[in-house]
Amino acid sequence: MDEAKGWLLDVYADQDVGIVLWLLTDDDQRLRLRMDIAATFYAAGDFVLLRQAWIYLKDKDVKLERTTRHDLFLGERDVLAVTTSNLSNLPKLFTGLSRQFPALDYYDVDIPLSLRFIAHTNMHLLGRCQVMLDGEWVKAIEPLDSPWEFDPAPIPLRILTLSPDINPSIRKPISLRVQYKQKEYSLQLEPTRTFMIGLKADLKRLDPDLILTDYGDTWLFPQLKMWSEQSGIDLNPNRDQNKEILTRRADSYFAYGQVIYRGAQAHLFGRWHIDRHNAMSFGEYGLEGAMEQARVTGLGVQEMARKSPGAGITAMQMFTALRNNVMVPVQKQQVEGTKTLAELIRADHGGLIYQPIIGLHTNVAQIDFSSMYPAIMVKHNISPETVGKENAPEGLVPRTLRPLLEKRLGLKNILSVLDPRDCRADILKARAAALKWLLVVCFGYLGYKNARFGKIESHEAVTATSRELMLLAKEVAEDMGFTVLHMYVDCLFVQQEGFRWPSDFTPLMETIVDKTGIPIAMEGVFKWVAFLSSKRDARVPVPNQYFGAFQDGSIKYRGIELRRRDTTLWVRKIQLGVLEILASADTPQEWAECVPDVHAFVEHAKHKLKAGRVPHEELIVRQKLSRALDGYKSPSPAARAALQLQAIGREIAPGQSVQFLFTRGGSGVQAWELGEALVPGSVDTKRYCALLDRAIRTVLDPCKPLCISERLL
Amino acid sequence: MGRTVITITQQLNETESMLSCFRRTLRRSDQYIFDGLFASARRHIAAIGQAESLLPFESAMLAMLLEQSKEIAVLQQKLEELMAKNG
Repeated sequence: MDEAKGWLLDVYADQDVGIVLWLLTDDDQRLRLRMDIAATFYAAGDFVLLRQAWIYLKDKDVKLERTTRHDLFLGERDVLAVTTSNLSNLPKLFTGLSRQFPALDYYDVDIPLSLRFIAHTNMHLLGRCQVMLDGEWVKAIEPLDSPWEFDPAPIPLRILTLSPDINPSIRKPISLRVQYKQKEYSLQLEPTRTFMIGLKADLKRLDPDLILTDYGDTWLFPQLKMWSEQSGIDLNPNRDQNKEILTRRADSYFAYGQVIYRGAQAHLFGRWHIDRHNAMSFGEYGLEGAMEQARVTGLGVQEMARKSPGAGITAMQMFTALRNNVMVPVQKQQVEGTKTLAELIRADHGGLIYQPIIGLHTNVAQIDFSSMYPAIMVKHNISPETVGKENAPEGLVPRTLRPLLEKRLGLKNILSVLDPRDCRADILKARAAALKWLLVVCFGYLGYKNARFGKIESHEAVTATSRELMLLAKEVAEDMGFTVLHMYVDCLFVQQEGFRWPSDFTPLMETIVDKTGIPIAMEGVFKWVAFLSSKRDARVPVPNQYFGAFQDGSIKYRGIELRRRDTTLWVRKIQLGVLEILASADTPQEWAECVPDVHAFVEHAKHKLKAGRVPHEELIVRQKLSRALDGYKSPSPAARAALQLQAIGREIAPGQSVQFLFTRGGSGVQAWELGEALVPGSVDTKRYCALLDRAIRTVLDPCKPLCISERLL
Repeated sequence: MGRTVITITQQLNETESMLSCFRRTLRRSDQYIFDGLFASARRHIAAIGQAESLLPFESAMLAMLLEQSKEIAVLQQKLEELMAKNG
């Protein structure tokens, strides 16, 4: 029997029996291994129906058993266990059964195969392991590390980057840039046959573990398929040559109050493909973050790079359920309990938002509760099955979150003492950010209507606890003589005459931790911070809209034009420039003295624009389409630009972004992706100046004295 | 995450539009003061929400009164300071 050590790269169902594993070995081999594991799903309900289901299934090459299993909400249930070793056939088997017996409750049907594998073997994706082999068959597999290690051994991945010379939606690319390690070269796309032979040879020679592309999902891989058919050169980019590319269609969906567009996807087997332009959070935490999420969630890197963190947290909950012999229902079964109107009004609240005191404030500390909602869920054992129960054992959700929370806090602690120039700093930051997103969505999923382990009452319990903790923190601060300027869900802005160094706020922080039991961290002390008012009525404060400068001169801003995706780069650059000028001020007096410099800076920028010296790329406005084009009564600028694209055969789906420039005359816009050169002088400079003026007003308004000073009281 | 009960901000907006005819009939100078009353209520959204009242506008009016009292207190203090300064 042979033995091998290495990293687990990929897991998927074999066509016939069991699963295929790819191991990246310590001696740099890529082994395709097979393992015989079976999957079981369960049906529960009326005994007569279960008996009929048994008869229906008995000739279908499955093992049937009557047993008892645990439902998180209903307790022990008598179930029919259906076990199959042909994992790729499981969805078809279930579809047939549920069509025949729709009244039965089904469990453990749609558990991703990688989760079944890690629950069965105690392994984790990308983890190090030792395998005992009989030919290609895995006889035993043993994990050599844990997904919760802060700094796991890095995987020596071979990464091949492929990117066209231009965005294919603007113009037809003529070459493909190939990058591998330090080498970089271009392959001409025509003649197609030569290109296909070249790319095929490169794939074979380099044998990458990860193909990182630009527009791979939406352009390169669909084109490769077409070129393959046209040229007769069979190019299969999978490492497993028995598999075809797995393609998923594009879709638009509504989430968090906006329409989100997800492009078509091309997944590979035996190696990964990530399209940097179609990976949801890739820009936020990159490959290192996607790998971290794969490690802790059990979903593959290709999945985690493209899916929302919600899919990851659902997978983690499923895994906790599997490990604790709790069945995972196919559909959510819990509905909101009945409440009187008064009870509903009492329960149905979000986090505490304490309106800011408008204006410019000096020496203000921002104190944040660390991962407040997950910490509340873990500390107070809030889970759908424990809510409203005294002394319940640790619930499924806190059990899932505890290691995640501990790992993130651990990473943050390491980062807090690490030299920012240390080569590990960026990797650890990416991992911490990836874990943060999983923690952020876990709260939302408690109240999400489709979450398998969600119940609105547990969601409400978390927000109720958070409000109570914020009020406790406010009371502590006020008892110690601080003015609370603003509170926003999990952070406080406090100030006290004579307090300006972080250490001045330490006793306050210690007392808050002591009273609430939730860890807090100091974001920093602002030498000045401005809280903004509503554009409609300057007397109305707006929560979470502020900008300020810390004592080291670094700037922080929230809710202003600089943070908005639909602000042009030109406006953002100038607004940031203005903030940098203001950041040199230490006092309100100095701040006011900076205003003439700001005006001069802005006038210079406008002069450059009018003289045509601002690159058009900096003037691009990017806006999302909120509906289908025929749904607009009076088309927005984005819709007008999309109509121009539609006229040249480009379809834009709801949720997709459209880039355009404001122009004089005609429809007032020109879609950037038309690729047409602008007529000189056609940029609507007046419109851009108005956008700039608005952004500058945002940052200069706080110098106007507006409100009654709280300190006078 | 969908909420069943509308937020206090939305409730105040609805009340304000319900009173739009009332506001329209006021003199322009009074309209500014009227808007100021709602602005003062909006400074206390958190407190109005925490009151968990079936009639949140009652709490909103309390918030308006609070802001008025605060303004009076500040003016009083300023007056006393001026009087002390001028002997």
